[in-house]
Amino acid sequence: MGIKGLYQTIADNAPKAIKQNEIKNFFGRKVAIDASMSLYQFLIAVRQQDGQQLMNDSGETTSHLMGMFYRTLRIVDNGIKPVYVFDGHPPRMKSGELAKRYVRREEAVKQMEDAKEAGDAEKLDKFSRRTVRVTKEQNEEAKKLLKLMGVPYVDAPCEAEAQCAALAKAGKVFAAASEDMDTLCFSAPILLRHLTFSEQRKMPITEVELAKALEGLELSMPQFVDLCILLGCDYLEPIKGVGPATAIKLIKEHKDLNGIVEFIKAHPESRYKIPEEWPFEDARELFLNPEVQDPEGVDLKWEEPDVPGLVDYLVKQKGFSEERVLAGAARLKKNLKTAQQGRLDGFFKVIGTTSSTTSAGKRKAADAKADKSKKAKAGKKK
Amino acid sequence: MLEGKLEQASLFKKLVDAAKELVQDCNFDCSETGIALEAMDTSHVSLISLELNADGFSEYRCDRNITLGLNLTSLTKILRCGNNEDMLTLEAQEKPDSLIIRFENTQQDRMSEYALKLMDIDQEHLGIPETEYAATVTMPSTEFQRICRDMYAISESITIECTKAGVKFSCEGDIGNGSVTLKPSASADKPEHATKIELSEPVSLTLSTKYLLNFCKATGLSDTVTLKMADENPVLVEYPLSSGHLRFYLAPKLDD
Repeated sequence: MGIKGLYQTIADNAPKAIKQNEIKNFFGRKVAIDASMSLYQFLIAVRQQDGQQLMNDSGETTSHLMGMFYRTLRIVDNGIKPVYVFDGHPPRMKSGELAKRYVRREEAVKQMEDAKEAGDAEKLDKFSRRTVRVTKEQNEEAKKLLKLMGVPYVDAPCEAEAQCAALAKAGKVFAAASEDMDTLCFSAPILLRHLTFSEQRKMPITEVELAKALEGLELSMPQFVDLCILLGCDYLEPIKGVGPATAIKLIKEHKDLNGIVEFIKAHPESRYKIPEEWPFEDARELFLNPEVQDPEGVDLKWEEPDVPGLVDYLVKQKGFSEERVLAGAARLKKNLKTAQQGRLDGFFKVIGTTSSTTSAGKRKAADAKADKSKKAKAGKKK
Repeated sequence: MLEGKLEQASLFKKLVDAAKELVQDCNFDCSETGIALEAMDTSHVSLISLELNADGFSEYRCDRNITLGLNLTSLTKILRCGNNEDMLTLEAQEKPDSLIIRFENTQQDRMSEYALKLMDIDQEHLGIPETEYAATVTMPSTEFQRICRDMYAISESITIECTKAGVKFSCEGDIGNGSVTLKPSASADKPEHATKIELSEPVSLTLSTKYLLNFCKATGLSDTVTLKMADENPVLVEYPLSSGHLRFYLAPKLDD
């Protein structure tokens, strides 16, 4: 999914582009969230203790609704105004990747059956998570829930990430929130990761700024897209033998993919092999001019939650606890009503940066923080 | 090279105490004219702007501009090593790795010297536009602190309404509501106890109590505080210093 190793590449070459921030520092911001990706996460992550998905009495899965409801509440509680974007039809070029995912899922289903027979609960859980896919009905249910909550959503004509990026680029929202790094390839000025994660994981929000990433990598936007295609995207097979370091080197030497392809074709003895059919220009076009709904025409309105509607849907049909739904609705209402705290950067413009640099024995503020978060992550894995 | 001597460490201590409520790491810009600091808090809601002019120091020298990146929590730890009445000297070489802080007691028989490691900090600078403030209120700083403290117990926000007749602070919370009204007064013998209002048009602003209370950490630096306000604009809370200023800006709460 996304671009292989892009985050690490940016972190290594343009550390200034990445900031770790607490969720509460984003209050007052409007954020476009990739809903399809979030629903997928919820279906995988929101589970009962025995690893089963949450279900209501009649056996319908409710993990996605549970996730959507409570994670949205958490976002709203922090003063952020979310707008969700749903995937439309996948681009033709993604069919290869989608077919692969299908095969993997089929494999996982088989392994799950095996595990079931063998009675290996751990494996069963592992593979059952890999078989997850978001159904059309679940998408529709999530939309229905958002409507009742008074949270706006947008149906993207094609890829949701592209639409999120377009909204951010047009200034309709502050940032695009997705785990998928290819949101940056669609020219989202700011990408937020980990926004829809659970509170318990205590993950800080990672903010990636495109302009600073380009500056650090010393690349133009089209070159950046070419780099991402080289690293490996959803649309094309990567070139064999090209990793992040080589990819950057090649782009800088040959300016763009056309140059690189020419170079490799002219030097058949080189160790890089381009797949036979490799329409990189089409992939580039998909990133630079994706199919999106005109952001100017998108009207984003946050409304009062429909409390009786929520109770009817979540409690009566989906078996949620009435008490908690009512409390959630009250939180939605409260956050909508209270005056929004303004931000100084809305009034004062940034005119420059000053840097203090010490010579030897540097203690970089940013580095220290990064170290800390790395340690935190490492601690989690155990 | 920078060398600045302050007759009393307490001034610097109080300034750093006031700043550390809002920012953790920030740059001190040292130049010929003095030491300045400008920083926003992490959520970009408030800004602190501090200027300590060269003539506020008993001795001051700074040949070339130096930017010192300091962690304020660490700085506070070192400043605690000196007494309030001690003489304080700040010293840094050109392109320094650390800031030297010296204390000397009033009897001049105890000298201590500490070095604080510096940090590399990239800090955004904001252009603060000239604003025509519709209302300027000057009042005792302790009174302002008391109002903020009292209302913090009731609500997250304070509404300040200013008219010719007076300035009204009010709040509304889950448990109830409250208000304090101050009328312009002129105590001729004690001007620092007076409330003064200059007004071109009535103003009403809603502000975060928590941030205002953070600003109040500067109360000990000045007898008076000045609030400058204009509708839908950040409020300016200024504590005058004998040579320099300490200003806080806070973005208002806005209805969508």
